[in-house]
Amino acid sequence: MIRHLFAELVLTLRVLFRQPGFWIPTVLFPAMLYAFFGANSGGGAWAANAMASFAIYAVLGVGFFQFGVSVAQDRASPFATWQRSLPGSALPQWVARIIAAVIFVTIAVALVIALAHVMTDVGLPNSAWIRLATVCLMATVTATLMGIALGCVASARAAVPLANLVYLPLAYLGGLWVPPMAMPATINAISEWTPTRAMGELAWAAIEGRAWTLQDLGLLAAWTLAAAALVGVAQIRQRRTFWPAQSGQASRNS
Amino acid sequence: MTLHSSDLAIHARGLAKRFGAVQAVSRIDLDLAPGEALGLLGMNGAGKSTTLSMLMGLRAPDAGQALVFGHPAGSPAARRWTGATPQATDLPDQVTPREILTYAAQRYGMAPAIDRLIADFGLGDLIDRRVAGFSGGQMRRVALALAFVGQPRLVFLDEPTAGLDSAAQDAFRAMARSYVAQGGALVLTSHHWDEIESICSSIAVIDRGETVLAGRIDAIRGRARITRLAFDLPPDLVPPLWLGASQDGARWQVETSDSDTVLRRMVAEALPFANLTLQPLELKDLIHHLRQGGTRP
Repeated sequence: MIRHLFAELVLTLRVLFRQPGFWIPTVLFPAMLYAFFGANSGGGAWAANAMASFAIYAVLGVGFFQFGVSVAQDRASPFATWQRSLPGSALPQWVARIIAAVIFVTIAVALVIALAHVMTDVGLPNSAWIRLATVCLMATVTATLMGIALGCVASARAAVPLANLVYLPLAYLGGLWVPPMAMPATINAISEWTPTRAMGELAWAAIEGRAWTLQDLGLLAAWTLAAAALVGVAQIRQRRTFWPAQSGQASRNS
Repeated sequence: MTLHSSDLAIHARGLAKRFGAVQAVSRIDLDLAPGEALGLLGMNGAGKSTTLSMLMGLRAPDAGQALVFGHPAGSPAARRWTGATPQATDLPDQVTPREILTYAAQRYGMAPAIDRLIADFGLGDLIDRRVAGFSGGQMRRVALALAFVGQPRLVFLDEPTAGLDSAAQDAFRAMARSYVAQGGALVLTSHHWDEIESICSSIAVIDRGETVLAGRIDAIRGRARITRLAFDLPPDLVPPLWLGASQDGARWQVETSDSDTVLRRMVAEALPFANLTLQPLELKDLIHHLRQGGTRP
């Protein structure tokens, strides 16, 4: 199991890190958005808040968007079909993807935080940094699983538009761009049920030194479990149905 | 001799699979013992690929069952003993053959025998180059090595030599024969009849989702000892009707199960034939012949 996970992780990271065209923009994008829209917030509590929001946004963009979409695209490939014929369970492959996502998220979040240090006078106690890092880690697992779930359900072509349709509203509804107190009441009522709001609340609590509420932790856990369950169901369904190997076959034989 | 199903590399009965409105496969029966190679034949769309994917456990059949060494196809125990090629054009560009062979071997819980694979599949100068930019034939050699890297007891090869040059084809055939001789079981699909004949001991013909003919090649040959006579005639001459000859380019040819009698009569009637050749019917034509006659096993 550990050996299998190691093999998956090495292959995944090799393929990703040897494509600078994929990973450089992926990790730069959240920092760029932060520079444009978050870093001009001046200093003090407001700056720390914006930094935390964009850190969570980085988690969402890299975990949910990039890794989720790539699952949809990989799933359709004959190579992925062949991988399913190899010994061993599917689980290490998913775990390897989440670990890879954590690595790329870490780089993306680190860039946001580095930029915050350069552009604002953000200053936090060590305990706040540790708690923020913990939130980012938990949120990465949730976001990546949600992305994988979407990637498992959507077709390769539908994945990008669908992910856009889900992830941009999620970022807005979670209060990552506009603080929740600036939201209209109806939007706020919806916002309170989104995973991004839970991530945001946990992150803001971390930098403000407040305790995490059971409600936010529970909401995040519920979304994580729901996404994991969807991935599990999609796995079982996939074994039973048609996938595009058939079309590749036809063109090869002709 | 009866074999228990757990002794068989493949034991499949009544496999059926439907995709929406299309019944891809409706009734597939197959058996394959260790140390045997089975050629899977059929036209495009006959159901070969669907059958292969069910035997590999990539798709669950709607009806029937497929056992691999007594374990359901696709189960962890079945996959442990099975090897297959990925579709050759689709290896990740960013990795080298050594890296991907190592990955695959680790999935089987072992270290890859890289030196043996280099020798068997001619990977010497490719082994540490990234796959991006490989030719079709080079990709195919890596793909073939991947099927054997886990020392499987059963290997599925779908069009294994497509894109290979003739030297690489010969090397592959020799390797496949020695794998089978050492007790390995092999399922092969190919458009090259000579490849099927040179590697396989048995064939199964699939047509419209059903196995319509299955058996050992020598038994099939024995059941219909048909030979083909081919000869030239002077340009203005037409062979007598009793001969039932057909024209193939400049040559006339006759298919018969009793070539001695036919030849004696041709000589007795002083037919002015030239350049006579006598050959056993090729497997492809033999199968066509058997199926035309409605012969079913």
